[in-house]
Amino acid sequence: MQNAKDSFYMALRTRLASINPERTVLLRGAVRPAILLEEAEAPFSQLPSDVFVLRWLGLGFDAESGLTLDAMECEILYQTCGTQSFGGLDRGRALSAMDKELVALLEPCNTPKLNYTVQPPTALLSQVFWDEPAFSPTTVQRDRLGRSVKIMVYSYQEQGE
Amino acid sequence: MSDSAPRNMGAGPQLLADALLRTVAGTSASLRVTGTTADTNQSEMGLVATTFASIVLSPVVMRKLRQTFVKGGRANWELLVSATSVQKQINALDLGSAQSLFAMTLAVTVAGQDYLIESIASNEAFGQVYLYRLLLREAEQQAI
Repeated sequence: MQNAKDSFYMALRTRLASINPERTVLLRGAVRPAILLEEAEAPFSQLPSDVFVLRWLGLGFDAESGLTLDAMECEILYQTCGTQSFGGLDRGRALSAMDKELVALLEPCNTPKLNYTVQPPTALLSQVFWDEPAFSPTTVQRDRLGRSVKIMVYSYQEQGE
Repeated sequence: MSDSAPRNMGAGPQLLADALLRTVAGTSASLRVTGTTADTNQSEMGLVATTFASIVLSPVVMRKLRQTFVKGGRANWELLVSATSVQKQINALDLGSAQSLFAMTLAVTVAGQDYLIESIASNEAFGQVYLYRLLLREAEQQAI
């Protein structure tokens, strides 16, 4: 389950770095692609703008066919205030750009499952795959536009996991 | 007749704020900041412990905020921090602003208790900040 979560995050991070290398964030003294796992960072009083934040929610198992299928619900939150050069008046366009990027990040909807607890990461036998994303309506918080997207992520448990 | 003697008008409120903080039992607080880490996959997934540094700010004054009781809710506090001590640490760490310093702060420790920063405000006079006010919430106990 943890390997699936790590693999999903790393797949999205790698795809973001290639789709839009300019979308970066300075976090803990390092510049990195603007996507982060909320549970692996210091608590935020306010989620950062122009960054994709991954939050893990629900969890379920299905052990019908001898193999155990893990199902995990992932929420991806993002928000923007637009850019300074436009005085924030382009925040709608900035949110649309993030919507488009997220759709691109989620295609194709599968990635190899890797074990990241060892260096270099080792490939496992199965894949991590996910459903179509469910986009929530835009939330408006003063000058900040945001959205959350929920995705069900699946993976089969392997021996030793 | 006007007084045209050169003087730094900004320093007065800062000195006054420091003096007031000291006289009302000013203590010290330490910020636990993250060290600069190599951008590794493992550090982004909570697999590698980040290096931390402790930065001491003094004088500071802590005051509890009045709040309605909520079951399981944590108390909120306000930490009044001397702007001169913040500026000293910004210079020492070669940071661009106080916001950068607070952004890299994981927790604030006062008298052995950890607090999380909820929001930051500052008071200014003559265009210079003389006091930072941090809204803090008591941190949950972490596993050892």
